[in-house]
Amino acid sequence: MTDSPAPLLELRDISKSYGQVQALRDVSFTVGKGETVGLFGDNGAGKSTLVKIMAGVERADAGSIFWEGKPAPLGSRRASAELGIEPIYQDGALCESMPIWRNVFLGREDTVRGGFLRTRRMRDAASDILRSDIEIGAHIDTDRLVSELSGGQRQAVAIARAVHFKRSLLLLDEPTSALAVRETEALLGYVRRLRDEGVSSVLITHNLHQAYQVCERFVVMSRGRVSLDAARDEVTLADLTNRVLDQ
Amino acid sequence: MTTQTAEASRPEVVRLGRMERARRADLDILAVFVVAQVGCVIAGLVAPGKFAYVTTGNFQVMLQAIPELGIVAIGVGLLMIAGEFDLSVGANYTFAAIVMANLVTGYGMSPWGAAAIALLVGLLIGLLNAAVTFWLRIPSFITTLGSGLFWEGFTLLYHGAGFVSFTPTGAFVTATSGSFGVLEVEFCWFIVLAVVCGLLLHRHRLGNWFYAAGGNATAARAVGVRTRRVKTIAFAIAGVTAALAGILATSRVQSIVPGQGTDLPLNAIAACVIGGVALMGGRGTMLGIVLGSALIYLIQDVLLLLRAPGFYLQLFVGLLIIAAAGLNQFARGRAARQGNG
Ligand SMILES: Nc1ncnc2c1ncn2[C@@H]1O[C@H](COP(=O)(O)OP(=O)(O)O)[C@@H](O)[C@H]1O
Ligand SMILES: [Mg+2]
Repeated sequence: MTDSPAPLLELRDISKSYGQVQALRDVSFTVGKGETVGLFGDNGAGKSTLVKIMAGVERADAGSIFWEGKPAPLGSRRASAELGIEPIYQDGALCESMPIWRNVFLGREDTVRGGFLRTRRMRDAASDILRSDIEIGAHIDTDRLVSELSGGQRQAVAIARAVHFKRSLLLLDEPTSALAVRETEALLGYVRRLRDEGVSSVLITHNLHQAYQVCERFVVMSRGRVSLDAARDEVTLADLTNRVLDQ
Repeated sequence: MTTQTAEASRPEVVRLGRMERARRADLDILAVFVVAQVGCVIAGLVAPGKFAYVTTGNFQVMLQAIPELGIVAIGVGLLMIAGEFDLSVGANYTFAAIVMANLVTGYGMSPWGAAAIALLVGLLIGLLNAAVTFWLRIPSFITTLGSGLFWEGFTLLYHGAGFVSFTPTGAFVTATSGSFGVLEVEFCWFIVLAVVCGLLLHRHRLGNWFYAAGGNATAARAVGVRTRRVKTIAFAIAGVTAALAGILATSRVQSIVPGQGTDLPLNAIAACVIGGVALMGGRGTMLGIVLGSALIYLIQDVLLLLRAPGFYLQLFVGLLIIAAAGLNQFARGRAARQGNG
């Protein structure tokens, strides 16, 4: 890995403790440009903590972080967002009482000078993305409140947001655990399609079978450490399953 | 997705969607308001002797009285949408007005300067509420319950319990308690404020952030909305509007006495809830807040005209709050069920 161009995001020797609990011990982790990495491990292995550090919502106690080879401290959600890192939460992390289009543009509103909203433009743009890129369905009106959407539709809205703002790295922490089978397939489809457009993803899931279909590299964590880091052609699904269960 | 089939069998859901759904609750309150108005007008025309509703006098009093609660409710409502409460608006209203009246009556200051200082006092009280709430990480309900009592007590400490007269002359009177024909100036202030704050709430990104901060602060922060800063602005607006209402009321009755604003905080919250603002934040509209305030006054007016004892007001407003909250809950449940198919 050292000779190839710098990875999109590299975490080196990251440690993180919550009081007495050491959630991460000297973890190193990389994501290449346009790469989809599967992250596995038991409950409590530290997967969510690692992803939260990438998202900028938690800070590492020790270690260093590089973005395209340059030091990037990721000290806040804002700093992480500026690099194009976007967490996609299970429920989409949307505001239920707001319409879809306002959620898509929340925090990055399209405005005229003085901060007044270009409502027509944002509505139209939101419909376009939902219709063509995400295919959540042509019948979904972007004026609908998020509280009226299913879990899968909410994630689709969150992904629509990432697509529109050309995010470069999606973080998906157990995105499918609350989804119906068809919604799960749709979601994995988005991840694949985004990869074709050069968007990288980190996917945490307990469903190795699903992950094996979409990820190019697999990282297994165990009690705060990385116990396996392998490309898809280096491991079989059976190997991988054993490594995860083996702990 | 299973919702697709459910959706297809319910085309009306799609059609209604063109109007911003958050605004649909407005239709309910608007309907209630219109029906109540029409009822009062008819009753007033049928029995003008017993129920003098359709008179210039009644109209004028209405246009003077609605803004007093309405202006406070605008600030309180914006803040509630942003997910916080202000129970100190009554004390703020009185304290700011007393500061103004004292500066003019006691120190001979110009009423314009004194009113500006009163607005500044309101602003500072609002900012202080925000600062205490965020530094100590306590619910704003508690912070402002405390600060309301504090400023009430402070008013008595600094000023005593007596009234202060406030009798400015000239342009200040015209600007704060004059009238254009039947149109009272206070009412114009109220409408201008409602339009400005309505644009801010519904058409400006700050309003978007109010809804987000009140609806799901974590999600808002995740996309970079600085929720504390946004809520601080809402606290400031609530403080300024409370002081403005105090200034206008004092100018109209030409005096102010401590304890005058005691009912304001709960009445303002009641107006907002009746107007469809959610107690938990994230929902509500400017039209709803305005109509909620007008509806509370309408009940008060009807009871006054019928010479009914004061407790009827509490009785009716109490029922109305519960009915409004129940109706909103019902509408929300219905919407959620439609979404899940
Ligand atoms: N906010 C927190 N406070 C205290 N301990 C935490 C917190 N978050 C995670 N932990 C602990 O850190 C460890 C790793 O947790 P996490 O990253 O959520 O694991 P995973 O996502 O792999 O299940 C666990 O032991 C967990 O209890
Ligand atoms: Mg986890």
